[in-house]
Amino acid sequence: MFFRMVKGVLFRQKGKMAMIAFTIALGASLATAMLSVMYDVGDKVNQELKTYGANITVVPKEASVVSDLYEVEGASTIPTSYLKEDELGNVKTIFWAFNIVDFAPFVSTEVNIDGRDVTMVGTWFNHHMSLPTGEELDAGVVSMRSWWDVASGRWLDESKDGDAAKIMVGSQLADQLGVHEGDKVSLKGDAKGGSYEVAGVFEAGGDEDSQIYAPLDLVQDISGTDGLISSIEVSAITTPDNELSRQAAKDPSKLTVAQYETWYCTAYVSSICYQLQEVITDSVAKAVRQVAESEGAILDKTQLLMVLITVLALIGSALGISNLITASVMERSQEIGLLKAIGAHDQAISALLLTEIIIVALLGGAIGFGAGYGFAQIIGYSVFNASIALSPMVIPLVVLLVIVVTLAGSIPAIRTVLRLDPAEVLHGR
Amino acid sequence: MKRQTMYFRMITASLARRKSRMLVALLAITVGSTILAGLVTVYYDLPRQMGEQFLAYGANMIFVPSADSEGMRSEEIDEAVAQIDADVEGAISYCYESATINDAPIIIAGCNLEETLKTSPYWQINGALPSGDNEILVGLEQAEFFSLDVGDTVSIAYLPPDAVREGEQIIGEVEGKVYQDFTVTGLLDTGSSEEEYFFISDTDMSELIDSDLTYDVTELRVNADADELAASVEKIKQTVPGVSPQLVKRITESQTTVLSKLSALVLLVTIITLALIMICVATTMTAVVTERRREIGLRKALGASDRSIMLEFMGEGLLLGFIGGLVGSFLGFGFALLVSTNVFNSTITFLPALIPVTIVVALAVTALACILPVRNATKVDPALVLKGE
Amino acid sequence: MALLELKNVYKIYGDLHALDDVNLTVDEGEWVAIMGPSGSGKSTLMNIIGCMDKPTRGQVLLDGKDIANESSRGLTDIRRDKIGLIFQQFHLINYLTALENVMVAQYYHSMPDEKEAMEALKRVGLGDRAKHLPSQLSGGEQQRVCVARALINHPELILADEPTGNLDETNEKIVLDLFRQLHDEGTTLIVVTHDAEVGASAQRVITLEYGKVTSSHGDTSFGKAARKDVV
Repeated sequence: MFFRMVKGVLFRQKGKMAMIAFTIALGASLATAMLSVMYDVGDKVNQELKTYGANITVVPKEASVVSDLYEVEGASTIPTSYLKEDELGNVKTIFWAFNIVDFAPFVSTEVNIDGRDVTMVGTWFNHHMSLPTGEELDAGVVSMRSWWDVASGRWLDESKDGDAAKIMVGSQLADQLGVHEGDKVSLKGDAKGGSYEVAGVFEAGGDEDSQIYAPLDLVQDISGTDGLISSIEVSAITTPDNELSRQAAKDPSKLTVAQYETWYCTAYVSSICYQLQEVITDSVAKAVRQVAESEGAILDKTQLLMVLITVLALIGSALGISNLITASVMERSQEIGLLKAIGAHDQAISALLLTEIIIVALLGGAIGFGAGYGFAQIIGYSVFNASIALSPMVIPLVVLLVIVVTLAGSIPAIRTVLRLDPAEVLHGR
Repeated sequence: MKRQTMYFRMITASLARRKSRMLVALLAITVGSTILAGLVTVYYDLPRQMGEQFLAYGANMIFVPSADSEGMRSEEIDEAVAQIDADVEGAISYCYESATINDAPIIIAGCNLEETLKTSPYWQINGALPSGDNEILVGLEQAEFFSLDVGDTVSIAYLPPDAVREGEQIIGEVEGKVYQDFTVTGLLDTGSSEEEYFFISDTDMSELIDSDLTYDVTELRVNADADELAASVEKIKQTVPGVSPQLVKRITESQTTVLSKLSALVLLVTIITLALIMICVATTMTAVVTERRREIGLRKALGASDRSIMLEFMGEGLLLGFIGGLVGSFLGFGFALLVSTNVFNSTITFLPALIPVTIVVALAVTALACILPVRNATKVDPALVLKGE
Repeated sequence: MALLELKNVYKIYGDLHALDDVNLTVDEGEWVAIMGPSGSGKSTLMNIIGCMDKPTRGQVLLDGKDIANESSRGLTDIRRDKIGLIFQQFHLINYLTALENVMVAQYYHSMPDEKEAMEALKRVGLGDRAKHLPSQLSGGEQQRVCVARALINHPELILADEPTGNLDETNEKIVLDLFRQLHDEGTTLIVVTHDAEVGASAQRVITLEYGKVTSSHGDTSFGKAARKDVV
């Protein structure tokens, strides 16, 4: 009989029950969407922050990254020691390989153009790699220097035939030399010289504007540094630094075994640096503080902001749901009075109402969960052009929220209604 | 008694004597309005607040001497800075000079060291920034090369350019070479080329080279968006001939990209949250009104026209909407303030215009939520409503 | 002169003839009781007379005007201007005081007048209970508020549906006395009831069975004949 009554309410009072289910679905979808976005926003913003360029540079142990910030005269810019090109693949074999989203090798040399000394840099532009793990990766400066503008012509592309012997010229240098896209530039390096076609002119807003960029192999040929590179820039998704990572960055050997495990298995910029040094012979991997520190700050702020907005949205949907449930229980005071009048115990009535409401809530919650996941994807695709991953934490949180909120909304209302005198209620006063 | 008086008497009686139901409805509207006002305030202030976070990436504008000038005088720099319309968070000028330590060439930079962290907050200093005379900050690379540590003393030799004669050896004892001892107070770790330099205060630098400083570069952190920055650059180019302002593209472009994504994120989140919450508010209002079908039937039986019933219920709803909207707009500002103190450690601009907007939205939502159920109830025969218990 | 005239009125729900060829005339100043067992069509007849429902077929003339063709808006206006309603369930607005409940009827009719409303309440003996909410009043008091509300606009016709159904004997007597006073003042009263006592107070009793008028006793020495008919 109990279930017959529950069934009766669910199927014969479709309108009201549908409205409750609808509101719960709304609340649950809001909770799902916000929680999903909140859990994934770190990764997504981290990806966006990659536009600031590499956060790790790997250089040979003996040498230093000598590239002059503001071209002060007298600074030597050509390194004398090198890393091995054939070890580049190792970058994607470290523990946190999956967090490395982009990297590019660099080799630089001085070349002579009409008596003028110019820095020429060899690198990857859009280098396609098939990794042993089966992962496909396009890496290079096209994505790592997202702030560069190609003023005329186009980016070089390793996969295009004939691009192996073309170069790109910085805008200042192009002005000084008077060269344009399609022109040929004669230059002479340490090992070799030749005439190379300009594929494009770029504007970088920095020193690179007076340099030449060319494919790695070409520059190695010209400078006679086959198989050698002078630095690697790595873009990695990292966890903001904390006390442990700062301590580890100074000297990992001073950590306890447990601390070391934690540090090594967390994507701190210092642990990724450490792991890169392990796989590349005679190298020093350094965090580019300007990028790494700022990323941490912005990530923390964004996540905190999303957490607060999520909390507000959750409170809002919780109040919305419990409010409606309270209203709907109050509305049934007559029916409850009648049940009491014909001899139903309070527990029996409460059980009946709660069962009905929980069934409706779970139904609405399930629909809302689906809809909320959809909303999360809308946010993901329209803001970040990527899907929002479903965090395993979201499902139990939403289920918990729906149940707690429904109970919180219905129990006080049921108690109030039960306290009423059946006779009064029936006479509709 | 006037009709209006009775009208208000009925509405206020309904609100005051049906406390629990009205509280339910009022709560719903207040929550909706709070979320509206809170999220909109946060969204509105986000570019400014987040922009401050992006300061951590360092300078977004630099001044270099224009092509026909050797260096920038500090008056020129001040004049140029004054041309910028937006907030200038920091402007640090650097003067670079070549010098030697034990005949090994080095570059020293003279600047207002205490201020450097304003434009380069990412600098990690092991030790402390120089604060007294003849103290020096050493880049990590150079510290390793010269085996320097905090507390060590280093002797720096400077040869003024006019003392250098054509083709003459500058290594070793040269006439005119100036020597000065510096105490190392800190080592600089940045992961990039700053680690190549030695940093001293501009007064020490001025003494070392024995002349007034002209600067080679000024790093500025301007809290403005890309368009405002471009406008300032143009203005300086026009008005201060000795200074050539340039944007640090990497910082400005990236900030625009990331900030626009973040704004879009908060905007979308705001829209979805608001849409859902407003529907929630509407369903609650609907439930509260639907409950009163019988009363509507009775009023009809007493001879009330559909119009006057609609007016009464709308009046009630709108009054609730007004109160809820008013309270909500202040609570929402409270939320925004909470966000900005907790997340951004700063206060937030109160938007007075948001109060009427919030109230209007609250009124519109409650009105919409009342219209449907009241209209449905007025369509029903009063007889059926009164009989159908 | 006939205030209300029903000519060949039918109300048909699907196969059910709730009213089946009802003919009825009520004169001005008359006190009529409509009686009959449940399901006999009393309520339907009451709804039609009260302008809350329209017949499927037939004519309902109120003051010589056919309400069968009125729009629901027109019906509302007629109800407001000519009819005072009294319900078995009282149907007071529970958040308004007794006085305000009376004033609501004035408000919809024309202009709320607190003094007049107070007079009406005094008349039903509730002058001292004017500021009470319905929940603070007894059933009988509530019904008296309902009566005050019905007569406040001086309707041509007072229509009461089981007015004593929820009342004890004392209150029933008070309400019937009020009706008697109204009748003496010349108000037309139609009372739907299945209580013989109430029916017997009326001038004329109309009995309904299966939607048909089975008897109509006009009686100047009212009481006996009607009672016999019902029992």
